[in-house]
Amino acid sequence: MEFKELPPVKEQIMKCVRCGKCRSVCPTFAEIGNETAAPRGHVFMVGMLRNGVVEPSQEVYDRLGNCLMCEACSVACPSGIDIHELNAAARSYIYEKNPSLGKELIFDTMWTRPGMLKTSVRFMWLAQKTGLQKLGRSLGITKLLPGDLPKAEKILNSVPYFPARSELDEVNPARGEKRYTVGYFLGCATNLFYPEVAKATVDVLTRNGCEVIIPNDTKCCGLPQIANGKTETARELAVHNVKIFNAYDFDYIVTDCASCSSALSHKNMEYLLGGLKIEDQAFAFSEKVMDLTKFLIDVLDVHPPVNAKAKKMKVTYHDPCHLANAQGIKEQPRELLRRIPGVELVEMKEANRCCGGSGTYSLTHYDISMKILDRKIDHAMLTGASKLATCCPSCTMQLRYGVERSKWQADVVHPVVLLSQSYRQAKAVQAQEKVK
Amino acid sequence: MDSAAIRKELVKLLGKDKVLTEPLDLMYYSYDSSFLTQMHPADPYAVVFPKSTAEVQQVMRFAYENNINVIPRGAGTGETGGCIATEGGIVMELSNWDEIVEIDAKNMQVIVRPGVIHAKLNEELEKVNLFFPPDPGSSQMCTVGGMVANNASGLRAVKYGTTEQYILGLEVVTPTGDIIYTGGMKARCIKNVSGLNLTKLMIGSEGVLGIVTQIRLRVWPKPKARGIAMAVFDQLDDAPATVLEIYQGGLLPSGIEILDSSAIKAVNEFKPEINLPDCEAILLFEVDGNPPSVEYEGEQIKEIAGRRARLVEWSTDTKRMAQLWEGRSVTASAASRVRADGTRVFAGEDISVPLAKVADTLRAIRQLAAKHGIQVVNYGHIGDGNVHTAPVINPEIPDEVERVMQLVDEIHLLAIEMNGSTTGEHGVGAVRRKYAELEHGLAVNYMKKVKEVFDPKGIMNPGKLF
Repeated sequence: MEFKELPPVKEQIMKCVRCGKCRSVCPTFAEIGNETAAPRGHVFMVGMLRNGVVEPSQEVYDRLGNCLMCEACSVACPSGIDIHELNAAARSYIYEKNPSLGKELIFDTMWTRPGMLKTSVRFMWLAQKTGLQKLGRSLGITKLLPGDLPKAEKILNSVPYFPARSELDEVNPARGEKRYTVGYFLGCATNLFYPEVAKATVDVLTRNGCEVIIPNDTKCCGLPQIANGKTETARELAVHNVKIFNAYDFDYIVTDCASCSSALSHKNMEYLLGGLKIEDQAFAFSEKVMDLTKFLIDVLDVHPPVNAKAKKMKVTYHDPCHLANAQGIKEQPRELLRRIPGVELVEMKEANRCCGGSGTYSLTHYDISMKILDRKIDHAMLTGASKLATCCPSCTMQLRYGVERSKWQADVVHPVVLLSQSYRQAKAVQAQEKVK
Repeated sequence: MDSAAIRKELVKLLGKDKVLTEPLDLMYYSYDSSFLTQMHPADPYAVVFPKSTAEVQQVMRFAYENNINVIPRGAGTGETGGCIATEGGIVMELSNWDEIVEIDAKNMQVIVRPGVIHAKLNEELEKVNLFFPPDPGSSQMCTVGGMVANNASGLRAVKYGTTEQYILGLEVVTPTGDIIYTGGMKARCIKNVSGLNLTKLMIGSEGVLGIVTQIRLRVWPKPKARGIAMAVFDQLDDAPATVLEIYQGGLLPSGIEILDSSAIKAVNEFKPEINLPDCEAILLFEVDGNPPSVEYEGEQIKEIAGRRARLVEWSTDTKRMAQLWEGRSVTASAASRVRADGTRVFAGEDISVPLAKVADTLRAIRQLAAKHGIQVVNYGHIGDGNVHTAPVINPEIPDEVERVMQLVDEIHLLAIEMNGSTTGEHGVGAVRRKYAELEHGLAVNYMKKVKEVFDPKGIMNPGKLF
């Protein structure tokens, strides 16, 4: 469909009355402080692009690209404009007119091929383990990287050698009586960077009567592509994933990654595949998709075993934008944490404000991203928590870097990891008591 | 001096980080909330971001020497094109200069720079049990400097009045580059009748006399209790009649707001959880004070409003009150939701009429809207006769644009005919200046003479007010 005919572009631009409500909630605007970074400014510029007042140039892309896509503005907008969708559509339109070899290599070639992605991460592991990364920094070689990457490469925390997929079976039977057949959408970042989260997810689900199937051919959810103007590639990935998962008879499709569940949601499927032949299949797929914490609370109603000897810990929770803003899921992760024996949940100020990571934003806009991150970490530290919980691998990566920058003694964890640990600890305590 | 040379000189003066010069960036400063700038955006020559009085003075002196227009701007949430370079010039963006210089709780006042956001100021004041009472619907985004320039008010003007009642003194950089202090150079007093009242002259002057760089504000003790009554009416006329009966009953709520059936629909579309009842009109009464008096006034409102209303809901629950107040606050923007292929436009949206004529005015607006075939959403501060009308149109259809312009012209003329004003709180800007002589007659000449004293070259926000 032509850019001008896309529903958000055609219907929503005119609805902006420039009231500025979006300015008051935008993390990037708060740091940059001028109208070029205000969400209403983005709407205005997309309008100029649509009307042909400005050309689809790299200069316009750069301004629209100064946005985290955190969706805080879309939630706050009294006129009901999906500002992030407008922005994504415009980026895609500009990209089509200004293709970049680098982006094609990253988002079309590498990110769409799980094997190639795995190999790239393996190189990162090798560089970290052999000290090449440190050597590169001390010799100034990393400074040769493009854009903000010389500064941002530090954000990549310690990379594991084995991805989750190599340590998990494709089919994981339910323990005890089977309740549901669950398709686990194992996202790229969880798979490659945080295999412990994937293992905890499978552990907790199987303990609670779920047969967990991890389809081998799963590809990227498409969100990085949307954010980087590669909507067509995101569309192809969505079609692939819909077909793969629909080939099974799943009761639910669960993911522990906020960005993935947002990308696979009905709303996003409508954005990518609405009006196409595959629309019905896509909607049937997205109807089954559910964030892990929501599934654990609303469907499984999990209650880990009571454990009087559970280690006491103060935990604060950071809302991933793609969970809280994109899907309105705020209570379930908190409720899950409250149910874990020993956990005391303490709220931080502005818990529902972006951490500045936002997938690739921290790599392309390092300095602003760090300002947003520092504000987040300051609030988190003030709670006195020893653990900072969140449900998104991109947030985890950013927050771990923030914790390190601030020299704060805290772990950044997914709630499911704490939950899985609580099951194992309770079992160990029971075993000890039996021995006694 | 051409605009490229102006940009170069400004960069020399302030440094490149405090000046926008790229044509693409300047486009972002071509609009505010007005329909005028939606249809006719106007790019400035440059945008500057001074963060000290000295920097403001430097820019003003440069502009004065070179005959360049200067247009002060806060958060750009105005509805009249007041902060737009409609006749060319340098936009001076002050919303980044957001320092709370001092909270002088002992003297019940606070000193701020112009860019402080209204809601953030009240957040800080709350920590010492104080508050700055005017409550514009744009509280989360508007700046105190913008409130001074427009003499803003909002939802609590009924009891607490407008911004002007809280300004004790100002620091102003004049168009010639002088720095003056109104309300006494060193004063920290509250009462002061010394000298001509230049503070009052500056308030509401919409940036045509100078740049306000510091504000000394009077603040009040924060009331200990609050309650909101929602009265539901099946006849629109019953709502203004009830407002008069509340006053006659010896009550002075802190706010009295009206939403008509379209506004109710818009709010429910935006936040379904607010769940406003389907009816012809809703009145929201806010009362505040000490707990027993709030309860007493709540009972009285229930009794008086209940004579005409189908239902009166009284709440002191924090969550419910926040919902109702937020619903009313965002009606201005949420009004667009009543039409899928349309948007509300800010034009003819702020008339003020005598209390006894509110019912007639609302009826007349509906008739005018029907005559021009334009859907309107009515809401506003009915407690002080300030009616907000939101025409909802498709601005991409030229015929609708033409019809809405006729409608808003007639609404402005209606206000004058009703012994009212074309604007109660949003200001004149570039949009309503054509009504100045009709409203003020010969007084407009004296306004122009006052401006000449401050701004002999006419460079300060030209094309606004008159």
